[in-house]
Amino acid sequence: MKKYSNLFQLSFFLTPALVIIIVFYLLPLVLTVYMSFTPIRNWNTERYLSQFIGSYNYYRIYHMVKYDPIFRQVMINTIIFVLITLIVNVFGGLLISLATYFINEKSSSTLRLVWLLPRMSPIAVYSLVWYYFFHGSEIGTLNSLLLKLGIIDKPIVLGQGVIPWGPWSIIVFINGLVGVSFGMIVFSSALSHIPRELVIAARVDGATNWSISRKILIPMIRWHILYVFTWQLLSLITSYAHTFLLIEWGLVNRDYGTTLSLYVFLTAFGRGEQDQGLAAAAATILAIIGTVLGFLTLKILKFERMIAKPRGDI
Amino acid sequence: MRGYVAVLLVGILVFGAIASGCISSEKPTTPEKVEVSLTGDFVKDVVNIGKALESNGVNEVKFTVWGAGDPNSVMRVYGIVEAAERINKVFNENNINVKIVVDTNYVASFQQLFQDYLSKQPIGQAGDFFVNSYAFIPTLAKEGYILDVTEYAKAYEKELSDFYTPLMEASKWKGKLYGLPQDTEARPLYIRKDVAKCSGFDLTKLEEKVKNGEFTWSDVYAKAKAAKEKGCSEWGLIHRKGSAHPDLIQFIFAFGGTLYDENEDKLVLDVPAVYKWLYVEWKFARDGILPEDIMSWDWAKQIHPAIVSGNTLFDIGGTWYWAEWQTKDYYVDPKTNEPRGLKPEEVDAWFYYTLFPAGEKGQKPVTLSQPFVWMINSKAGAQNPKYDELKDIYQKLAFLMILKASDADINAIHSVISSHLPVRKAAEDLIKDEKWLNDLKNLNIDISSGVKAEIADIVKATVHPINAKFLADVSYMLEYTHLAPSHPKYPALADLFKDAVDKVLRGEMKPEEAVQFLIDRIKADPELSASVKIVGEVPKDWQFP
Repeated sequence: MKKYSNLFQLSFFLTPALVIIIVFYLLPLVLTVYMSFTPIRNWNTERYLSQFIGSYNYYRIYHMVKYDPIFRQVMINTIIFVLITLIVNVFGGLLISLATYFINEKSSSTLRLVWLLPRMSPIAVYSLVWYYFFHGSEIGTLNSLLLKLGIIDKPIVLGQGVIPWGPWSIIVFINGLVGVSFGMIVFSSALSHIPRELVIAARVDGATNWSISRKILIPMIRWHILYVFTWQLLSLITSYAHTFLLIEWGLVNRDYGTTLSLYVFLTAFGRGEQDQGLAAAAATILAIIGTVLGFLTLKILKFERMIAKPRGDI
Repeated sequence: MRGYVAVLLVGILVFGAIASGCISSEKPTTPEKVEVSLTGDFVKDVVNIGKALESNGVNEVKFTVWGAGDPNSVMRVYGIVEAAERINKVFNENNINVKIVVDTNYVASFQQLFQDYLSKQPIGQAGDFFVNSYAFIPTLAKEGYILDVTEYAKAYEKELSDFYTPLMEASKWKGKLYGLPQDTEARPLYIRKDVAKCSGFDLTKLEEKVKNGEFTWSDVYAKAKAAKEKGCSEWGLIHRKGSAHPDLIQFIFAFGGTLYDENEDKLVLDVPAVYKWLYVEWKFARDGILPEDIMSWDWAKQIHPAIVSGNTLFDIGGTWYWAEWQTKDYYVDPKTNEPRGLKPEEVDAWFYYTLFPAGEKGQKPVTLSQPFVWMINSKAGAQNPKYDELKDIYQKLAFLMILKASDADINAIHSVISSHLPVRKAAEDLIKDEKWLNDLKNLNIDISSGVKAEIADIVKATVHPINAKFLADVSYMLEYTHLAPSHPKYPALADLFKDAVDKVLRGEMKPEEAVQFLIDRIKADPELSASVKIVGEVPKDWQFP
């Protein structure tokens, strides 16, 4: 009887979370996989959702991987974008949180607030700011500045002209700035919970900021680093909003700016013909990649040690 | 124990919520459909529909119209508002207590609006009226998203015979009529007269030379290069951004190519014509006559200001530019240093216009039209009461509204204030009528006060004998016009053209590489590959200029 009582109580607390996971994560995933086996396009669910075409959409993707240079480029862009932005996000967040840890509270709060601005700004506004900053003509802030300083004699068309690193650097920079703040909050919060006496004792022993960071702070927040790393990895695989706008506005070259998640979005919503079946197949592949990478990351970074019960020998 | 109670309560709540959706107290019945027949007598049909609505307890009918285009083309939505007002007047005069209310949604990008329509139509959230390019008809008709009005139109054959036949044909797909033409246009090649004079380019009889194919794109190149080299303008040529369709597609026709094989119902990649087009773009950009990043220029901050400020000799534009330059502040007045619209006299004095020249000797000049069509959502009227019973009534009322919105005066007003070409003869006659133009200028016309207020500023800026003369002058271009193909896969092919143009302009690819890129991308998509026929080869020893 006690067993059932526990189960009921457990269900009571878990149900809201389970409902959210089922409705907003599991069902869309199942629907996406299902749609990938239908010819659904132009959102005509009434007509196409009951038609089954087997693996045809996956065959089309295979065909594109084999013959379409642009689709291959999309995959290269995804790898470059995720890897570099991930490094920027995790290490940028760590650097800022460590830097603000060593300065007085008032200054560090202001500094953290400034770094939070990209995350607080609406996506369109934030993207528009950088659109005009990097614009490849005299109307671009960066070009106008460099021209006035006499560093360049004609505008640099970074996002369209300097291929491939121009578009890559813009999307990494803009997404990196947004991501840095996430790591910064998590790391700052973790650092603030480290007992001060450890740092004070190290100071008394003559440790520098660098030694304190390396030998005390970073090891003590390693699980937070693991969490941010995994979270950001999975987020970056699926993020596209800023990049979409910058490509739509012509700032970033479409071929060298499109990542797989953006490709899925454009195929489903953004082209002359909206092909949700094909997009669903690409999204399913993306979900598989995300799952495998997430699993690998947790394995490599020994996630099971973090969730293991404490040994009680501290 | 408290846990049990809580779980039980949640369980009851969830069960109740589910059950309330599944269990119906009444057995569903099929509503009896109410229908009226269209007779061809407009007033009689409106009265019949009004009475049917009234007797079914409907006193207000709500419709939404979605339209897109340049800032001066607002009559694309206000035309429907005006039609509703005129029909309301008929209801009033016949003591019918029914009123039509129209909401409008007007945006700049017609492609974006099409995408919105696609995603919102299936869930019943798209406009009841959709004013957009005829090029989208095949996709929308194929998916069943727009109403087939063939049968309705039969009752009004006489009225519709006043519409230009090619435009009515453009509103059809597979023999069925899916709307009524709203406007059309030509795409002139604009030439700055002052830059031409500075560079020694004599414009005398140029129009004739273009018409008979003497003046080709090689000459455009030579003149553009001379203008730049002599320091008369920063650029030799400016054209649109962001898309190859429709403006740049003209090159394919100008080089004698085709885009569609009617017999096989397939799109065509005409390799020789496409290669020549891409070569021209590549050559212009490599010689610094055309900005290599033009495809990502900003319309309002770069493209139009460059043209109206005389920074280019040539511009591949559209007839509506003529009015747009007068209503938007693209020009910075050197005297005041303030941005302002051009005056009609200035546009007339500064710009020469002609057909899009032949690609090379032996070919013909062209222009390209993209008629806009008033389409009706296949779910038109769904937001109104008793939709299932009155569906036929709502749809027929919607048809009568687009018919009314095509009244000669509404169409003529739209043409004059937006520099588009009329779709029917009666509207063309009105535009030539000086008295009517004068009345329009003073807003002394019989349109509702709401619409009058909405267009007052545009009327003030654009209604002028010079603009009416411009419309009359360019209407001959329709004799040379081409239409992009009506094919569901055309938008996908047009997307690829855009990529290829961008790549040759930026120097990422040479023209022959870009043609191969197009072929590869077509073949990479099995569906597109099945819809596109690739004909011809890259011409050897072809020279430009």
